[in-house]
Order: sequence, then structure tokens, then C-alpha cells
Amino acid sequence: MESRNKFVLLVLSIISIILIGITSFNDSIISPLRQAVGIVLLPVQSGVNTAGRAIYDSIEEQRKIHSAITENIELNKKIDELTQENTRLMADSGELARLRELYKLDESYSDYTKVGARVVAKDSTKWFSTFTIDKGSDDGIAVDMNVIGYGGLIGIVTDVGKNYATVRSIIDDISRVSAMSLRTGSLCRVDGNLEQYNEGRLILKDVKSDADVNEGDMIVTSNVSTKYLPNILIGYARDLKDDSSRLTKSGYLIPVVNFDNISEVLVITKLKEVSDQ
Amino acid sequence: MRRIIVNIAFIIFAFALQICIFPFIPFLYASPNLLIILTFTYGFSLGVEEGMIYGLICGILMDLYVAGPFGFFTFLFLWIGFINGKLSTYFYEEYIVLPVAVCTVSEVMYNVFIYIFKFMIRDKFNIVFYLENIIIPEVVITLIFTLILYRFLLWYNKKLRVLDSRGINR
Repeated sequence: MESRNKFVLLVLSIISIILIGITSFNDSIISPLRQAVGIVLLPVQSGVNTAGRAIYDSIEEQRKIHSAITENIELNKKIDELTQENTRLMADSGELARLRELYKLDESYSDYTKVGARVVAKDSTKWFSTFTIDKGSDDGIAVDMNVIGYGGLIGIVTDVGKNYATVRSIIDDISRVSAMSLRTGSLCRVDGNLEQYNEGRLILKDVKSDADVNEGDMIVTSNVSTKYLPNILIGYARDLKDDSSRLTKSGYLIPVVNFDNISEVLVITKLKEVSDQ
Repeated sequence: MRRIIVNIAFIIFAFALQICIFPFIPFLYASPNLLIILTFTYGFSLGVEEGMIYGLICGILMDLYVAGPFGFFTFLFLWIGFINGKLSTYFYEEYIVLPVAVCTVSEVMYNVFIYIFKFMIRDKFNIVFYLENIIIPEVVITLIFTLILYRFLLWYNKKLRVLDSRGINR
């Protein structure tokens, strides 16, 4: 009995270590299983989520005056719209000035087709910033699609099932986004960082030391990014300082999105096309 | 047998709660790790074998939900179930200090394991920050939930045991 338990423990441990090894290199082996479970779990998640939210909402609504809520929602929506509109306009004019001679940019991200989705589950530990949405491959969502909302970039789809998708937000510790200053087009990189996000910011790095990036500049996704569509607002530059190497500058980025209470998102159903050259 | 089915159902429900409800409650700074509570309570009160079964199920659920290499959480929960099962020789129902200590150790073990293999491995060495901001809040809230849930879990498992033995006798 005793030795059998130890034997089982040992065998299972070895199996899981082998699985970790295999799936570190090739995630696709496990994805059919993940998808199957996701399909089964999503109704449960949606149900629990809806029930929980209904309870929470009713408590919440008693606390607040109803009209204030509706007004707030309306105003927020307007702010979102205006920020989005503003970025679009700034993107348009900035692009236009720089690139009019070179090529015509006829896309800005409000032109992309988007799918709205609800966030149904989140990682409960604070270690990771990933969440599940209630739309999947059936709704045309695929891995690497960009997720936006609340006026800016939220994250990227990392995993897709029939009726659900997993999104990794840009504040996750392993997230890296190739970005640029909207005003000058100087390239940089936005890294998610758990320590910095506690202060409400992300890391902005790899800015060339002679690049013209100022305090408060709008930082958007770059043209050269392999996965992110260009000109999606991420946030504003802050506290740029020279690195010890003197070749690059780094600082912080204040995101436009408040990641603490994301409940609805938009998924852009257009993948960035990258030529193989 | 009935006990195992009910407990598995309970684990799935707790898992749903953990990823669908707690993260959305804005005033909760950290969310309790219900799966740890279940694994350690079951292991601690029911023995090695069931500790390992429930640990395995919790781990697989977590692995299936969290993207990335598969097997990480399975390994972790399996060991938490096993170690707590080993401790069941010291199990007395009235005695609350040991389970509280066991829960704390399990939680710290769980979080340190995540820290080492998902963060330190990528050169993130500021362990004090992670301790203060993630590990300790989570341990505290999990402990609070343990104090609430522990008695309930023991009580209904006792009920189920009585039901099960009646079923066999019949």
C-alpha cells in the first residue's frame, strides 16, 4: 500500500516532467485536449460568471444611484470613443506628414473589422495576466489576433478553442510589444512587468539614445511588429533616461487601459501579414 | 465511491469559482486559492491515496486552463496532495493549528514554485517584491477561507463516509 503510493507518485511525477519537457517545445500536442476541456468548461464559466455578476451587480446597484451609473457608462463610452477617434486622427495626421511621399496608408484601426467578446474567466493568481473570452474559432477568432478596448491595446490571443479564446494582456510579465512614438515614428519596445504594473505602468525600452521621444508622447504599436497591427494606442511615455550603455534610453509607459476591470473587449479579426523576406 | 464523485464535482465547482468569480470582485486584493484548500484538506483528512487523486485532478484542471507547458501544475498539486496525505497520521479533527500551518506551507510552496520556475528562471530576482505583493496577500486570504471552509469540508466528508458505508452494508 505504502510503496504503491510512492510508486504512483514517482511515475506520475516523471510523466508530468516529461510532459513539461515536450510541451515546452511543442504546445500543439496538448491543444486538442485543452480545446475539448475548454468547450466543456465554457458553459460552466459563463454560467457561474453570469450568476456571480448578477449577484454582485444587484448589490452594486443598490449602493449607487441609478442615474449616475447610466450617465457614467455613457460618458465612459464617449471617452473611449473620443480617445479612439483622437488616436485615429493623430495617427492619420502623423502618418500623413511623415509618409505622404512614401506610401499611402489607407488603414487605421477603426477600419478593421472587430468582434466584441465578454471576459468570462481570469487567472486567479496575480502571477499571470491572462483571461478567457466567450468567442472562439466559430466567431472567426484565431491565434495572434490583437485585442483592444477601452481606447487602447489590451493584449493578444494566445489560444483558441471552438467557443472560447485565451488572451494574454500586455501587462503580463512575458509580454513584449514592438512599439513606436506616434509623433516621430522612433521605435521602442513595451514590456509587461509585474513589479512595475503594481505602480500602474509598463516598461518602455530600447529607445535609441538619439531618438526624439518626449515625456508624454503617445506610444502606439509599430509598423515592424510581427504580431501587432500598426498604430494601436498603448499609452504614454514617462521618465525616459539614458541606459548605462548610453546607446539606448528606457523609461515607463502609462497604459491608457485600466487592466483591473476589463469586462468586454474587441478582437480585431485581421492578422498582421508579414512577408517572409 | 460516492465521496470521490462528490469531491470531484466540488473541485470543478471551486475551479469555476476561482477563475470566474474571485478575479472579478474589485475590492479583493488577492483571490483565495480554493484548489489548494481542497487538495490539502482532502489529503490531510483522507490520506495519501485520495490526496494524490484530488491533487492530480486540480493540477490537470490548472494545466488545462493556464497556457504554457503542460504538467507544471499537475506535478505541483500531486506533491501537495502526497505530502499532506503523509501528514494525515497527525490528523485530529478538533485540532486547528496543524491544518493552518499545513495550509500556509502548501500555499507558500505553491507560490515559490511558480516564482522559481516562471519568474526567477527569467532573471527576475526581486523576491521581496513578489513576497510582499503576491505571495503574502494570497496566503492570508487563503488562510481566511481555510478557516471558513475546513470545518465544512470535514463535516460533509464525514456525512458522505456514513452514506457510503451504509450503501455497502445494504
